[in-house]
Amino acid sequence: MIKLCGTILKLIVVLMIVAATFSPAVARQVTDQLGRQVVLSDDPQRVVSLAPSITEIIFALGQEHRLKGVTRYSDFPEEAVNLPRVGSYVQLDLEKIVALKPALCIAIKDGNPVEVVERLESLKIPVYAVDPRNLNAVMETILEIGMLLDASEAAKALVANMRYRIQRVRSRVAEASCRPLVFYQVGIFPIVSVGTNTFIHELIVFAGGSNLAEGPIPYPRFSREQVLFLSPEIFIISSMAKGEVFERIKAEWNRWPDLPAIKNHRIFLVNSSLFDRPTPRLVDGLELLGRLIHPELFEEEQ
Amino acid sequence: MTDKPFLLKRLFTVSFLMIFILIVAVFLGLSIGSTGSEFKAVFQSLAEESVADSMTATIIWDIRFPRVLLAALVGATLSLGGLVFQVLLRNPLAEPYILGVSGGSAVGAIIGILMGLSRFPGVAFAAFAGSLVTLFLILAMSSGQAILKKDSLLLSGVMINAFCSAVIMFLISMSQHSRLHNIIFWLMGDLSMSDIRQVAILAAMLLPCFLLLFRLSHSMNLLLMGQEMAQTMGVNIKLVTMTLLVVTSFMVSATVSHCGLLGFVGLVIPHMLRLTLGPDNRVLVPSCVLGGGAYMILCDLLARVLPEHGEIPVGVITAMIGAPVFILLLKRSDLCR
Repeated sequence: MIKLCGTILKLIVVLMIVAATFSPAVARQVTDQLGRQVVLSDDPQRVVSLAPSITEIIFALGQEHRLKGVTRYSDFPEEAVNLPRVGSYVQLDLEKIVALKPALCIAIKDGNPVEVVERLESLKIPVYAVDPRNLNAVMETILEIGMLLDASEAAKALVANMRYRIQRVRSRVAEASCRPLVFYQVGIFPIVSVGTNTFIHELIVFAGGSNLAEGPIPYPRFSREQVLFLSPEIFIISSMAKGEVFERIKAEWNRWPDLPAIKNHRIFLVNSSLFDRPTPRLVDGLELLGRLIHPELFEEEQ
Repeated sequence: MTDKPFLLKRLFTVSFLMIFILIVAVFLGLSIGSTGSEFKAVFQSLAEESVADSMTATIIWDIRFPRVLLAALVGATLSLGGLVFQVLLRNPLAEPYILGVSGGSAVGAIIGILMGLSRFPGVAFAAFAGSLVTLFLILAMSSGQAILKKDSLLLSGVMINAFCSAVIMFLISMSQHSRLHNIIFWLMGDLSMSDIRQVAILAAMLLPCFLLLFRLSHSMNLLLMGQEMAQTMGVNIKLVTMTLLVVTSFMVSATVSHCGLLGFVGLVIPHMLRLTLGPDNRVLVPSCVLGGGAYMILCDLLARVLPEHGEIPVGVITAMIGAPVFILLLKRSDLCR
């Protein structure tokens, strides 16, 4: 009997030593942007991104070798298209995520259902949630993801470059004599624009324009009558759709040649993923807006 | 009761058969999913052998199992709901979805969600209130003799349903709610958000209702024979009717607040069973519970595996199967007239 106890004891000790040597990278505890405590390994090798924007950030940090799964519409950069898909960011496929055995999932508050995040955690998969609501928060998010993925240096360099480019646009438009009235159209039918609490509003303001739809409602709807009454000086149509849809919308607004924007041919189509994704590409969007709103100030660049 | 031994025997045979079907459905539901099929692994882990891959076990038991349970509960509830409404209104086309009771609870639930209530008990209670309101509207609209005529009942149901959808569209188009996307998915019927705790709460609410309805199934038989007959047989018509109505609405709204609108289940299953098993509600109630559960598990399975990416809301599947069946039934009952 005593012998048996001794054997068991030895076995336990051996098991404990084995467990200690084989345990993965040291765990650490971090607080995410929603104030949740997340325990994750120091150097997570298997990461699943739960939104296209997070995929873009991970690629921008050069950490794509860690990415084992992405969501539908993760289309930038092109390499992202070939990664395994785990559903769309509003309708995540729990089973596929679990099958990828992620060491870390990165979620975004605006879109990912909280129930899925809770389920993932109950399955012992750490989920770090981000909630970037403006340009500064996007840069903060990039730094945090850099910290999570052991790429702080790359993140700092990326953010420094973004800050520099943002400042360049802002100092240039500071010389502008006016702030043109911009109507930024995200929805085609019904007509939907963007309120104050969006990236696009911030970009319009930074680029020296004033957003006609500013207000507390994030994505306000407009009737055609209301838009005509606001008499925008610049139309910016943001769409994933191809040129022909743009031509149709343009033809629609062209029926009112007295509108300042139509009179001066200032109606433009822009790629929506430069504006509605909290990624480093927002700065590309900002520079584009600057050139569209104040072409006179950016002349020498073109 | 002279037919008691016979009934018991029949009940056992039928239940045995339905349980077998349910077990097959559960097995399929556990084995097949978006990451592939693992028939062997399910057998292994059922035989209490440890599955080689712990991830497979997680997928089977932590992700698919709660979902299969939820589907079974919801399918059972909606089939029973259909059966009870068909008996009470003596109308073969009655069903919670078609009558607008589901729509009413959806309106209640959406108002609850937009008010920021918690999913349970807040939203569930709002859904219950909504279903009761529509139920009494339907009864008031088709009161008295008219209740016997299926046309007037169906018409009032259709109108209430149309009104409810209008209210839902109004609420959705007025709201700037950031969870709008989720609401729309949920409305189309969605079982994907099932964790075992929620399923347990739902089961604790629904299983006693199933038992109560089983106890009342004999009275339901008598009610079908007509009010006078039932009264002479000692049935307290008012009490039984009210109990049935309230319990059914409670069950339906509990499932609606959980998984949105799943239409026509309460039509397909009770009718199929009535055609094969005959009209005795004492047999129909348990077989609706078991058969409805199996049917919903299989519908949900289709919803999960049909599309290559993501999934179809299961409400779309049930409606696509159910609506043609409904038309067939309508045609048949027209021929009988």
